[in-house]
Amino acid sequence: MKAPSCFRRGLGVVFFLLTSCRPNPDPVGGQTRELVFWCSNNGGEITFAREMTANWQRTRPDKPLRYQPIPEGQSSEEIILASVVGKTTPDIYANMWEGSVEMYAKAGVLVPLDTIPGFRAFITARCDSAVLREITSADGHIYQVPWKVNPIMTLCNTQMVSPETPTGPPYTYNRYLRAGAQVLRDGDGDGYVDRWLGYTAVRAIWYERLFNFYPLYLAASDGAPLIVTGSTGKQRAAFNNHYAVGVFRFLQELYRRHYFARERLTATRDPFLAQRIATQFTGPWTVEFLEKFGEGKLAYSFYPMPVPDAHRGPVYTYGNPKQIVIFNTCRDPTAAWQFIKSMIDQPGDLRLLELTGQFPRRRAVDTDPFFAPFLQRNPRLLPFARQSQYVKGIDNCDKMVEVLDIISQEYEACVVFNKKTPEAAIADAADAVNVLLGN
Amino acid sequence: MKKLTPYLLVSPYLLHFAVFVAFPVVFSVILTFHDWNIIAPMQYVGGANYARVVQDRLFWQAIGNTLRFLVVHIPLQIGVALLLAELLNRTVRGAAFFRAAFFLPVIVSGVVVTILWQQLLGFNSGLLNRLLVGVGLPRVAWLDDAGVAMYSIAVMATWKNVGLYVILFLVGLQSVPVAYYEAADMEGATAWQKFRYITLPIINPTLFTVVVLSTIGGFSLFIEPYIMTEGGPMNSTLSAVMYIYKQAFQYYNMGYSATLGVCFALIILLVVVLQRRFIEQEV
Repeated sequence: MKAPSCFRRGLGVVFFLLTSCRPNPDPVGGQTRELVFWCSNNGGEITFAREMTANWQRTRPDKPLRYQPIPEGQSSEEIILASVVGKTTPDIYANMWEGSVEMYAKAGVLVPLDTIPGFRAFITARCDSAVLREITSADGHIYQVPWKVNPIMTLCNTQMVSPETPTGPPYTYNRYLRAGAQVLRDGDGDGYVDRWLGYTAVRAIWYERLFNFYPLYLAASDGAPLIVTGSTGKQRAAFNNHYAVGVFRFLQELYRRHYFARERLTATRDPFLAQRIATQFTGPWTVEFLEKFGEGKLAYSFYPMPVPDAHRGPVYTYGNPKQIVIFNTCRDPTAAWQFIKSMIDQPGDLRLLELTGQFPRRRAVDTDPFFAPFLQRNPRLLPFARQSQYVKGIDNCDKMVEVLDIISQEYEACVVFNKKTPEAAIADAADAVNVLLGN
Repeated sequence: MKKLTPYLLVSPYLLHFAVFVAFPVVFSVILTFHDWNIIAPMQYVGGANYARVVQDRLFWQAIGNTLRFLVVHIPLQIGVALLLAELLNRTVRGAAFFRAAFFLPVIVSGVVVTILWQQLLGFNSGLLNRLLVGVGLPRVAWLDDAGVAMYSIAVMATWKNVGLYVILFLVGLQSVPVAYYEAADMEGATAWQKFRYITLPIINPTLFTVVVLSTIGGFSLFIEPYIMTEGGPMNSTLSAVMYIYKQAFQYYNMGYSATLGVCFALIILLVVVLQRRFIEQEV
C-alpha cells in the first residue's frame, strides 16, 4: 500500500510544480497589472529605455511599467517568435524588424494600432504619407509604429577616393568604377590584390542583401518596391526591371574587375580602418566605431548610394527601420500607446539620437530646429539626417525572408561568381518569388 | 500491486520515449500534411509538401552535396583511422600520448574546431595559403571556390572525428589472435594477404559499425558548413540538414521542413541498408 501513496504524493508534487509555473494571476484589490516593455539589449537603448520608463512612472504612477532588455538569443527575431509561441510576449516591443510585422499581423498576435483613439492623428503628424502607406498591412490596419532608421550610405575614405564633383555627390556607377581603377593595388607584389575599392558581404544570406543590393535598387529606382499587391490581393515580384538588372550588372562589374574583394575580409582587422578598402556601404553606427578606433587619423565622410549615370533627383536608400509594436497579450493597449507616444515625442527622439546615434523616423529631422543643436555638435551624423528623409523600409510581405534569400542565391551566382547574366539572374529570381507567392 | 510494479518500473523510460521519441516522430509525420508557421493555426494541405519535395532543386542539390561529402569523408576517415590504429597497435614509444592526441579533437567543441579551421583555410591570411605562397605555389580558395569548399570541409571533419574511429579499430585489431598471423607467416603470406584474409574479416563488425557511424554522422553534417561557409559558395556546401534547418527556423515552414526530414530519413535508411549488404558481401 506504500507505493500508491508515494505515487499519489509524487503526482501531488508534479501538480504543485505545474500550477506554480502559471503566469501571475490578475492583481486584485485595485492594483493594476504592470506593463512590460522589451527594448533592444545594446547599452544605449537600455539607457534610453530606463530613462523613458522613469519618465513615464513619474507622470503616470497609476500605470506601472517595467522595461526589460530582450532576452539573449541568436537573434531578436527568434526570441520574439519563441515568446509568441509560448504566449510570453511583452506588452510593448521596440526594435521589431519591419519585415517580420506582416507575419505576426496575419497570425493575429499584434494590436491594430489604428483602432486606438488618437493614433492616426499622431502618426500622420509625425510621418509623411509614403511612410503611412509603407506601414499599412494588407488588411488595411496599422500594426507598427515607425520609430527609428539607420540609413545605409556610402562611407568613403576621402584620402583614397574623391566622391565630390563640381556638381556634388552622389557617385554614378561609372564614376565609382573609375575610382576602383585608382584604388586597386597589389602592395606586396605577390600577384594578389590587397587594396580594393570596397567590400560588401558576399554570403548568400537574406539579410546581407539589405546592405548592398536593396539600397542600390532603391537608389536607382527612386524607392520602387520589390513586391507589389495586385487588385485581387495577391502579391507578386515587382523587381524584374532595368533598375535591378542595372544594379546586378554594376555589382558584377565591381567583382569582375576585382574592385570589390570576393574573399571575406572580416577575419582580420576592420578593412576600412586598415585602409585596405576605400569605401563601404554602411549605416550611422559606423561613426562611433570609426571615431573610437580610427585614432583621428582617418579622413572620411558619408555619401548617398551610387546611382545609374542618368539618375536625377534625390537618392533613396534602405533605412533599416525598426518599429514598435503592441502584442495582443497586452491588457491595456491604450496605456501602452500613451507610453509609446511619450517615448517618440520630440524630446524622446532627441534622447534616442543622443544615446544611440540612431535617427527617429519623423519628418524633417535635418531641418527641424529642435534637432539642429545636436547635429551641429555631431556633424558626422548630418549626412544621415539628410538621408533619413529619403529612406524606404521593406515591403509588407510575410515571405520577405524567403524573397530576399531567393534574390541572394541569384546575386551570388551572377554578381559574385559571374555564372549568369544580370538579366537571367533577375528573371530567375522573379520567377522563383512568384512561385513562392503562389502565382 | 504486484501487477502494477513492472509498469511503474518501466514508466520512466516509457515516459521519456513517449515524450522525446514517439511524439516527435508521430507529430512530424502529421506535420508533413500541413502548412504551419508555428504562430498561426495549421492548415491541411494533403500531399502538397511531398509534391514540393520532388520539385525542390535546392533539396536535391543539398542531398547531392551531402553525398559528395560522404564519398570523400567516409573512405578518408576509415583509411586514416585504420592506418593510425594499425600503427598504434604496434609497440611504439609514447603510444598513450598518440592515442590521447588523436582523440583530443573529438572532445573539443565542433564550433571551436570549425572556427580554427576557418582561420587556417582563409584565402588572404590563412596559414595554409601563406605556406603555399611561401613555397611559390598559388593560393587556393579553400572555402570560397564552389568546387573545393565541400572537400575542405570533408578533410576538416575527418581530422575532427578520426580519433574516435582509431579507438574503435584499435579495439578490433587487438581482438585478432596473434596465432593467426604466426600461422600465416609460416605459410609465407604477405602483409597485404594477412590484412585482407585475417585482419579484415575479423574486424568486419567493427568496420561495419565505423561505416554506419560515419555515414550517419556524415548525413547529419551541419555545424561545419553552417559556421565555415553558411552553405556557400553557390550552395555547394549546403547540407541536407542545413536546408531542413533553414526551412524550419529561417522561413518557419514547419510542415515542409518536416516533410524534408521524413524524406531524408528514408534516404539515410536506404543508404545504410545498401551499405550493410555491400559490406557483408564484400568481406
